[in-house]
Amino acid sequence: MCDGVPDDIVEVRDLVVRFGDFTAVDGISFDVRRGEIFGFLGPNGAGKTTTIRTVTTIQKPTSGSVTIDGHDTEDDYIAARSCIGIAQQHISLDKDLTVRQNLRHHAMLHKIPRSEMTERIESTASILELGDYMDRRIENLSGGWKRKASIICSIIHEPSVLFLDEPTAGLDTRSRHMLWDLVRMLNRRGTTIFLTTHYIEEAESLCDRVAIINRGRLVAMGTVDELRAMVGNVTVDVTDHEGRVTKHHFPDREAARGYTEGLDFFFNVRRTTLEDVFLELTGEGGLA
Amino acid sequence: MTNPLTILDETYRVAWGDLCYLRGNVVEVLLTGLVGPILYLLAFGYGLGGSMEGGSSEYLAFIIPGIISLATLSGTFSTVAMKILVQRLFYMSFDELLLCPVHITSVILGKTLSGVIRAVVCCTVIMGLGCILSPSVEFSLGAMGVVVLASLTFSLFGLLAGMVTNKTQKLSLFTSIVIVPMTFLCGTLFNVSALPAFAAYVVYLLPLTHVSQLVRGFMLDTGIPLDSVAILLAYTALFFGLCYWMIKTHRC
Ligand SMILES: Nc1ncnc2c1ncn2[C@@H]1O[C@H](COP(=O)(O)OP(=O)(O)OP(=O)(O)O)[C@@H](O)[C@H]1O
Ligand SMILES: [Mg+2]
Repeated sequence: MCDGVPDDIVEVRDLVVRFGDFTAVDGISFDVRRGEIFGFLGPNGAGKTTTIRTVTTIQKPTSGSVTIDGHDTEDDYIAARSCIGIAQQHISLDKDLTVRQNLRHHAMLHKIPRSEMTERIESTASILELGDYMDRRIENLSGGWKRKASIICSIIHEPSVLFLDEPTAGLDTRSRHMLWDLVRMLNRRGTTIFLTTHYIEEAESLCDRVAIINRGRLVAMGTVDELRAMVGNVTVDVTDHEGRVTKHHFPDREAARGYTEGLDFFFNVRRTTLEDVFLELTGEGGLA
Repeated sequence: MTNPLTILDETYRVAWGDLCYLRGNVVEVLLTGLVGPILYLLAFGYGLGGSMEGGSSEYLAFIIPGIISLATLSGTFSTVAMKILVQRLFYMSFDELLLCPVHITSVILGKTLSGVIRAVVCCTVIMGLGCILSPSVEFSLGAMGVVVLASLTFSLFGLLAGMVTNKTQKLSLFTSIVIVPMTFLCGTLFNVSALPAFAAYVVYLLPLTHVSQLVRGFMLDTGIPLDSVAILLAYTALFFGLCYWMIKTHRC
């Protein structure tokens, strides 16, 4: 290492996490580049949350290594942790306290100077319009407001890499748009974002690169265009006489045309979406 | 070596959330902490003591320091353990505490602080009450020192239990087989020498025994057993060390 700033802010090598004899994460390796928005996709139970919890040092890995901003999370965890912000899938706020108390506690723990504290709390909270809810106790908030409070909590100390585990789950449409704006704004200011979501279009529009995991294993990683090319850029939806739709992928329009010629069913030729890639790679007959 | 002032500052930062809760629920918290000891005082001090030959005053003087000692355990262990368990398993806020850039020592001390404060306040009230009720009982700073140390020790024990257990039922089981027997047997309500030799030996190894020896020594001015000081400090160090190891090695 000749300069202090590695290109990859998160480096994960051969990560394995077992619960008893069940392997939740089965030897995955990937890098997250500094300054990118990285999407982490996978079906329910694929191991996304477990991976995030392990990378952020909440969970201990069975084997493998993680470095954050050059700091090994095993040997140098204090330094590694100081770069991290996380909004967990399961809201992790103190439910006996109000939103404001949770934010202040979080700010205190991250040693935000007293003089800046109040201003920082109010201005950060206003991004997701938490104003009217600041003095409510967490246990009395609806699910979406809890999530917004937890997201604000995760960014109050301006982490250099932010982990968001299903940040838009349970948010209404307007809040979801506010969250997207927030993610883009933080990213423009230099925050690296690592997010999971089940809304594939969301990942498609937000993320610079995407990784797809299934049953604890990485099945694909790259830009949306690269992933599209993996299964084929062109998709043909074919509707048979009973109304069943099947998808067929082709590298280009030429190949697709060759297939549809003389086809006796209704069909629709279109560009492959990330959702097609996801279904192809994580489905029954997927590559996994 | 970390600056002790940094640790103190961080301890306050960690404890702040729990202190907010304490401040918002003072009456409830003090009431739950005081009802038990006051019932013991009535039931044993007056009820049992009153039926003794030679009257109750001597037994009352004996039992007041015992009840104070008992309050250092009952006021800390279960509340601290339950709070940690809930914050770990249901709120999941404990996880994130471990993500904050504070020292492990500060996390441990911060998480025990509200328990210590609560127990010390309760014990002060009981001690004041004791001085009014029994002329041979004296308010003693030495006893207060023991109360602080004992509350810390049992809060650390609670923190440890809250980090080890994964179910509320297990915690209740632990309370009934370890904490409740300790409450009754450790020289709080009767003299340990009344026990059969083997039991007395076991009881000698338990921390609460030494808390009551010390509190009684200070409050009744009957001398300070140094072995008790040593054993109590050893327990404090042991529980602290185990908590530190649990967090350091990611076992919770
Ligand atoms: N503490 C645990 N003990 C035992 N098994 C666990 C534990 N945590 C997770 N698992 C298992 O590990 C697997 C991966 O879980 P994980 O929560 O990482 O999935 P996920 O990809 O986040 O799913 P979702 O999309 O539903 O959030 C699941 O089968 C889950 O049951
Ligand atoms: Mg998950």
